[in-house]
Amino acid sequence: MNVPEKTCDAERLRLLLADQLPEALQAEVAEHVAQCAECRQKLESFAGDVGFWSEVESCLRTNAEHVGESSGASSSLSEARSSDESFAADFVVDFLEPCEQPDTLGRLGEYEILEVIGRGGMGIVLKGFQRELGRYVAVKVMAPHLAASGAARQRFVREARAAAAIVHPHVMPIHAVCTSARLPYLVMPCVACESLQQRIDRQGPLDVIEILRIGMQAALGLAASHAQGLVHRDVKPANILLEKGVDRVMLTDFGLARAADDASLTRTGVVTGTPQYMSPEQSRGESIDARSDLFSLGSVLYAMCAGRPPFRAETTLAVLRRITDTQPRPIREINPAVPEWLESIVGRLHDKLPEQRFASASEVAELLEQCLAHVQQPTVTPLPECVRHISLNALASGSAICGEPDASAFRLMRFDRRTALVTTAVVCLLIVVVQVVFQRANPTNAPGGQSSMASASDTADLSDEAVTKESQTLNDDLWGLEQRASQDWDDRDL
Amino acid sequence: MPPSPETRPSLVVRLRSVRDEAAWVEFLEVYEPLILRLMRKHGLQESDARDVCQQVIVAVAQDIEQWKPDGAKESFRRWLFQIARNRVIKFLVKERQRVVAEGGTDGQIQLAAQSDSHASLSAEFEREYRQQLLLCAAQQIRGEFRESTWAAFWRTCIDGRSAVEVSEELGMSVGNLYVARSRIIARLRVRVSELQAET
Repeated sequence: MNVPEKTCDAERLRLLLADQLPEALQAEVAEHVAQCAECRQKLESFAGDVGFWSEVESCLRTNAEHVGESSGASSSLSEARSSDESFAADFVVDFLEPCEQPDTLGRLGEYEILEVIGRGGMGIVLKGFQRELGRYVAVKVMAPHLAASGAARQRFVREARAAAAIVHPHVMPIHAVCTSARLPYLVMPCVACESLQQRIDRQGPLDVIEILRIGMQAALGLAASHAQGLVHRDVKPANILLEKGVDRVMLTDFGLARAADDASLTRTGVVTGTPQYMSPEQSRGESIDARSDLFSLGSVLYAMCAGRPPFRAETTLAVLRRITDTQPRPIREINPAVPEWLESIVGRLHDKLPEQRFASASEVAELLEQCLAHVQQPTVTPLPECVRHISLNALASGSAICGEPDASAFRLMRFDRRTALVTTAVVCLLIVVVQVVFQRANPTNAPGGQSSMASASDTADLSDEAVTKESQTLNDDLWGLEQRASQDWDDRDL
Repeated sequence: MPPSPETRPSLVVRLRSVRDEAAWVEFLEVYEPLILRLMRKHGLQESDARDVCQQVIVAVAQDIEQWKPDGAKESFRRWLFQIARNRVIKFLVKERQRVVAEGGTDGQIQLAAQSDSHASLSAEFEREYRQQLLLCAAQQIRGEFRESTWAAFWRTCIDGRSAVEVSEELGMSVGNLYVARSRIIARLRVRVSELQAET
């Protein structure tokens, strides 16, 4: 039996609010709160003052959708989850027209849709059949959430049209762009291929010949698009397709990354997708040009050499910072089979300053082609002049690449090898000069310390011509030696 | 029981460690919508707003180590606000050059209007921060409660329907409904002050 004084007890209300009352008592006190306006007020003031209650009310009312509240109290969380799972099925139901042909999922425009090939960040890829022309096609449809954003939709269409204008053996052709459908889509040939990403996942680091061939063809594809003023923006192994059987390289997904950014930046945090192949200027959100693609191409070459991307970190932001602030681990530390000159090509592509990179994709393509010729026929074709030039430049300026410890350690290593050669040459030359001079001056004496040095310098003028001639021969020999050494080096690397 | 606000390391301190993904998630949850709203207030189009917002976030990521608190509670927000504003102005100046070249003057007008509005925008940034905290708190705590508890709170406090009607709908006693919504308010208040202490 409860007397009112005891029931209207502040402490009990506090405990009730904190869910610390025994169950039986809880029901009783709650019942009392329903009856007693004073206690209800007290309970509510313990929860928060009047100002807070009204702040919550006005804030949540105007932002209901942010709390996942539409109208009433449906559980939108579980809806979102199931929508992800049954996306493909829903898609077929929602966006395809029925088709009378058996074994088809439905119809999209003039294409009979046979199956769902894949699903990516941009949307869904379907296998279709174009009856009029009797050919199979791949239809890439923009994801509904992207198509809902006007900016993304416009960009998708604009970039797709620009890409469709590029006709090049190393660019995936686009048969058609449809903008009038509820979801814009583009139509491409249906080619049996695997992506470079799949190849690397399957095989790890590739052979030098493969790397050069794929790199060269990708660079050619890029050069073709740059010639039309189109920057790819998303050069990565997943967007480089290798045609089965012939291994022809085809670039795909031109400029579409940007459309995805337009629509989903706020959804996922800072940037969409994997930023691992972005350029520094891209990850800083600055405006970019064709040279940004060259940096990414450098990262692709790196991934082929090392079996993994150059800038890795646990978080998206950490990756972005790596890209802007640090040098990747030297390739040859990971895969010693990669020749030094290839590493230096990647290094130049990876320069943080766009103006320090190669001038154009076509220049890179040409260089890689010459390197490929050298690797395939080392005895007939020399390594291109400019590759030697790159290593010499890096050696001389040292400023082209600014310094993370392991990067400078790599330079130091290379410096040591060269220094050793030069030092050896100088020392040999000196010894020979001393010997020659000494023998001419005093043929019977054995060479020795201080006195021999003195006599050498004393008599230098007499035998000047002979010494010059001697040292010239020696120089030639050493040059040959160095060339042979680097040849050996290269051969071993391959 | 979550640790008390005083003992939790400040989010800003945690942001300095790039590996602390959780800190960045929390940061973006609270501040990204604020930055975006600021961009839109300056008349930026959606995709531009997102571009500039990304620049701001990357700038924060890069400069967070240099940032030193000046003792005031809101000093981090003032710093962030300054970065965001600088980026917007930079963007608008660039835009203006383009627009002027094309003969328009909208960009100029926008730019001119800005310098006087600094104080009011800064105050608004602070108000919106408070609102954002409340929204985050609501999103975060919702899962801690049974769906019916949340519904009791939402339908009476936010939708403004009568307690009796909703209690019948939910098959819950009126008393329990009062208790349910008070518990949500109490939890919201605690979470908001925690978030405020952290961010």
